[in-house]
Amino acid sequence: MDKEEEAPQIPRRTTRSLYSSSASTSNIVPAAKVSNLEALTINDLLVGGDPISLDDITSSFPGRSSQIHEVVRLLGPLNSPLLPLFVYGGASTGKTSIILQIFRHLKRPLVYSSCRTCYNQRILFESVLNQLLLHRKNMANSYTNAKRCERPSDFVNFLREALTGIVNNLKEKSEKLISEKKTHDGGMGNMIYLVFDNFHLVREWDKSSTILPLLFNLYDMLKIPEVSLIFISSTSPDTFYSNMGYVEPIPIYFPDYTEGDIRQILLRNQANQKLYSSFLDVALKPFCRITRQVGELATALKPLYEQYCEPLSDKGKGVLPSEDMKRRLFNHIKPHIASSLNDVFKVSSPSSREVETSKETKLKGNPKRSEEIADLDFHMSTSAKYLLISAFLASRNPATLDASLFDSKGGSDNRKRKRKASEKALEKKELLEEELLMKGPGTFPLERLIAIFQCIVSVADEPSDEDEQNNEELGAQCGNGSLMSDVLLQLSTLCNANFIFKGKSCPIEGSTRYRSTISENMALKQVARSLKFPLSKYLYRS
Amino acid sequence: MAPSSPSNTGSQPTSTTENDIQPFFVLHKASPRRKDRTSVWQGKCRKRNELSPSRSAKKLKLSTADDCDGHLDQKLQIETFEIVWTKIESTIKDVLRDLNDSVFSNIQQWIVECFRTTTLIGEPSIAEATRSFPLLNNTTPGKLNSAFVISRNIEFVDDVLTFEELGLFLKSHGCHVAMLSSMEFSLKNGIAGCLKALLRGFLGSAFDPADISTLASWYREQGNYNKPLVLIINDLERCCGSVLTDFILMLSEWVVKVPIILVFGVATTVDAPRNIFPSHALECLCPSTFMLVTPAERMDAIVEAVLVKHCTTFNIGHKVAQLLRNYFINQDGTVTSFIRALKVACLLHFSMEPLSLIQGRILADDQEGTSGLSPETMLKYMDELPLYARNKMVDQTKKSMAEGLSELATVQKLWSTVVLCLYEAGKYSRVQLLDLFCEALNHVLSPSRDSVCHTRDDKDHGLSAINDSSQQYSIMQSGGFICQIVRRVRDLPSGKLEQLIESWDKLTADISEIHEKLKILQSSVRCQDEQSAHRSSKDTERSVSRVSVDIDKDSRMSNLQAVTFLDDLVRNYLRPIEGMPFHEIFCFKNVEKLQLVLIGDPRRRIQVDLLEFHNILRCSCCNKSSNALLPSMHDSSIMYSLAQEHGDLINLHDWFQSFRTIVLQLTNKRKQKSKQTPLPKKRKDMNGSGDQNEAAIQARFCRGVTELQITGLVRMPSKRRPDFVQRIAFGL
Repeated sequence: MDKEEEAPQIPRRTTRSLYSSSASTSNIVPAAKVSNLEALTINDLLVGGDPISLDDITSSFPGRSSQIHEVVRLLGPLNSPLLPLFVYGGASTGKTSIILQIFRHLKRPLVYSSCRTCYNQRILFESVLNQLLLHRKNMANSYTNAKRCERPSDFVNFLREALTGIVNNLKEKSEKLISEKKTHDGGMGNMIYLVFDNFHLVREWDKSSTILPLLFNLYDMLKIPEVSLIFISSTSPDTFYSNMGYVEPIPIYFPDYTEGDIRQILLRNQANQKLYSSFLDVALKPFCRITRQVGELATALKPLYEQYCEPLSDKGKGVLPSEDMKRRLFNHIKPHIASSLNDVFKVSSPSSREVETSKETKLKGNPKRSEEIADLDFHMSTSAKYLLISAFLASRNPATLDASLFDSKGGSDNRKRKRKASEKALEKKELLEEELLMKGPGTFPLERLIAIFQCIVSVADEPSDEDEQNNEELGAQCGNGSLMSDVLLQLSTLCNANFIFKGKSCPIEGSTRYRSTISENMALKQVARSLKFPLSKYLYRS
Repeated sequence: MAPSSPSNTGSQPTSTTENDIQPFFVLHKASPRRKDRTSVWQGKCRKRNELSPSRSAKKLKLSTADDCDGHLDQKLQIETFEIVWTKIESTIKDVLRDLNDSVFSNIQQWIVECFRTTTLIGEPSIAEATRSFPLLNNTTPGKLNSAFVISRNIEFVDDVLTFEELGLFLKSHGCHVAMLSSMEFSLKNGIAGCLKALLRGFLGSAFDPADISTLASWYREQGNYNKPLVLIINDLERCCGSVLTDFILMLSEWVVKVPIILVFGVATTVDAPRNIFPSHALECLCPSTFMLVTPAERMDAIVEAVLVKHCTTFNIGHKVAQLLRNYFINQDGTVTSFIRALKVACLLHFSMEPLSLIQGRILADDQEGTSGLSPETMLKYMDELPLYARNKMVDQTKKSMAEGLSELATVQKLWSTVVLCLYEAGKYSRVQLLDLFCEALNHVLSPSRDSVCHTRDDKDHGLSAINDSSQQYSIMQSGGFICQIVRRVRDLPSGKLEQLIESWDKLTADISEIHEKLKILQSSVRCQDEQSAHRSSKDTERSVSRVSVDIDKDSRMSNLQAVTFLDDLVRNYLRPIEGMPFHEIFCFKNVEKLQLVLIGDPRRRIQVDLLEFHNILRCSCCNKSSNALLPSMHDSSIMYSLAQEHGDLINLHDWFQSFRTIVLQLTNKRKQKSKQTPLPKKRKDMNGSGDQNEAAIQARFCRGVTELQITGLVRMPSKRRPDFVQRIAFGL
């Protein structure tokens, strides 16, 4: 290691292609180590990679040719100045990749910074400057940035400095090229482009009110015609406060893909195109109704496709589907589609090592979900369970009903009374029910929670179950009283597990309000069942 | 709280172990009743005297002798405790490590696999990896490999340690490991906080503008990229969702350049990430799940190793076991607190029971196992006991006691073997060892077992009674888990029964008495098997159903034999320790004391302490009168006593007035005194400071109210009723 650090840092001007070929052919450790030390050149501002033609780009981005041509037209020929561009469109509509591919095609230098990675203005500034100053972080400089830059005014100064340097560098280079007459279109020109990706995130920064005008104004402020700005955002320019007296960037809109486009995109990297296409015939339409985002669709369809191929001998590698087979596969996949539609936003987590268990659950299948959740598969203390139930009740039932539900006379009596009353005003009840459903879980103060908890615990302790009998000897000491003893501790546990949401307020004042966020049937029925607690008896709507 | 602090500093025993295992002592120190003792160790001595009532009479006589031995004795006790506890602790550690081992190695394999696939895709060169824009390759965007390690316990305490160990394990298997906890993912620190922690975890030093490109540069340097990067995030549920989402999106932007592998600890279910992340973050994850051992399984393993297999080192009584079990099930549910409770019990045991010192001797000498505890060795150990402990044995001859002790040890050994056998059988009906353990310790049930045993003893242990279908097994009548186990054994299919008998064979290998009986069982079962096999081969032409019925009958026979065997074991050998003489030496039984330490009930304690503060403060000024409030009392005590007279709401003005009158009693008295003394100047001073005095009283009042508010006894005035304080705690 030492030897390499001591080695003199000679800026070796290798051409990009030479460099990348050497790196790609030799993945051997020493070669990579040597590359550690090469200083960055202006070539590193290129996207790099093999040259790509415009047609290749348009063919690899189906349904995007008009946008691609628009961008290329705006960028214009070499050395033509450009007003700021504002590229926008929904998530995964190909904005970033198209811009980068175009730059790869044009071979022009760009400075790219994603406002996600650069999560505040300082890091954004320093990242831009690092790239412009051709600075590389490494052990020797203990991973520091080229410039320390926190204030916008500093940034503008540094930026101007760096940009003039780079532009001069570029000019020299192109002049040299022209004088040597090596190539007439291979040069990278005098222009440098600053690309700000994920620009919509800037709005959420602390100092967004100063940084946004600064960045939009940058073009006017710098007054360097060789510099151009490209903003990539997933929201339209209207969402930025735009009439601030600077040149409005040219908007380019990337619309959402159509179903046909999505189909082509999904087909792109498939081994067995025909089979996948027949799969998409079946599956794509219902999924497209839910989301048009390619990324989401790809993740959702992948497990389904695996399922689709299951009956085939070699997992559908080299099969050409006949009509008959298609029909068979369709019948096989049909029941799964509906269930996986709900799973679009979920992680399915089959582990390779847990094949047996996952197989078991698969056998049970999704329609029998209620059986699947028969028991709670994590440990929770009894008092926490009771607390969870009481939180749920407090969230679901209107507070006015507490007295009648948890009256000391006992639940069953009240229930009859309640039922009679509800028969009288059935419509009203239905309305209320609907309202409850629309409102979602209500909030409640701590006192109410604890009151309900105490009622529930005292009721539940009365009937002597089988388990209770075993504990009888100790029940006197440890039954009722001890369940109550550290409720607040349990409450904080439940809050931490995201089962109960705690509103923000001063805890000493006691005015904090809570809300149970637990999904009704799933976990609660598990919990109530594990306690043999008659939950439905206490629920208002039942 | 002012009243508790002086007692805390004054009489807290010096042993640090006690300090950190009794959390409620901060609020409340068990109040010493006799104040003339100033010895540092008074707490211990007192406990011992108070808390073994069966011996108290005898002890009182000896207590004078105790005091001189106190120091030496105390040291020995602590030493013994340390010997025993280190042994128990190391056992627990081994058990937990073994439990986690398979999951850990699974995770490690998975990491290796993930790493291999990422390297197969092709490593970006250093120039590519440190550039700011994403790599352009036409494959689908890379996903973050992430493992959700489900700890299956809503409380996270146990798993902090588990994940720490996982981190060490992975580090030792050649990964770069960083651990982040939910503290780093807070809304306050935002993404900067977690990035900073991430860089500190991997690079080892802090970076001011924490930037992920730093990580990329570092990872591509100096061969760091030969190892996978693993990021462990302890408790997913507690992390702030939005920050974590940002973090994951950022990592996914860099996933090709920095192929980081995430390991999340999930406390509840696999659904937890779904509830926390939005879909576009979930999309970036490529999940796998790993299950840790359930807390119940962990608990069973610990009970098996500590309380059953090594039952001769230290044991607990039935009630204590019940308390611990209920505490685990109802209250806390963490193995950590169980271990802590066990530690407290252990410490209390050694401080209360003088003869328990013998345990330390036994352990210290006999490292390789407690197989041979002959009366002679016992005698030897007893001779080595300090004088003070030997005094306890005056009424028994040493020899008989030695014999008793060694018998106790053998009986214990038998007991533990039987419990293990039952547990082995109980695995088929999912009986937990903790429950079984509690039942096996129950000496209330045991007399009935004994009596049945005696009446049936002369009949036989034998095979003749097996066919007697009317036979009712005593253990089956008693109900509970043992009964459940036996019932299950009766219905066990023959293959599993054979397995069970084999496992019994292993368990009883070094206990000759039981092993012989097992041999008989084995031979008879085998003989029946052969018979049935013979018969079935002979009767191949007979109808299949008939044969199966026969086989059924045969296997039923062997099942019944197994049940008889179990019954025999339970009746003869499952003798709870509490029924034996001298069990106090090995067995901790004091539930009340343990309960007090475990379940502190702090609010009640605060109230009691405020009302009966003189038990703690022991000032000479206050304790002469029992009920009347004196100005020399502590302010918050006075105020709380006054508050008792009010209902739900306390009028602040009234409260202040009554407080003032009580506080001013003192100065009035002083005034009277000063009138008698002829010192006019001083009197003048008093008059002059009247105003100041008033202000001071008000300040004291305010402080008192705040103190009561902080302890959670009153609530501050609301806007609606500005001059009323609300009482929150009623009654004790």
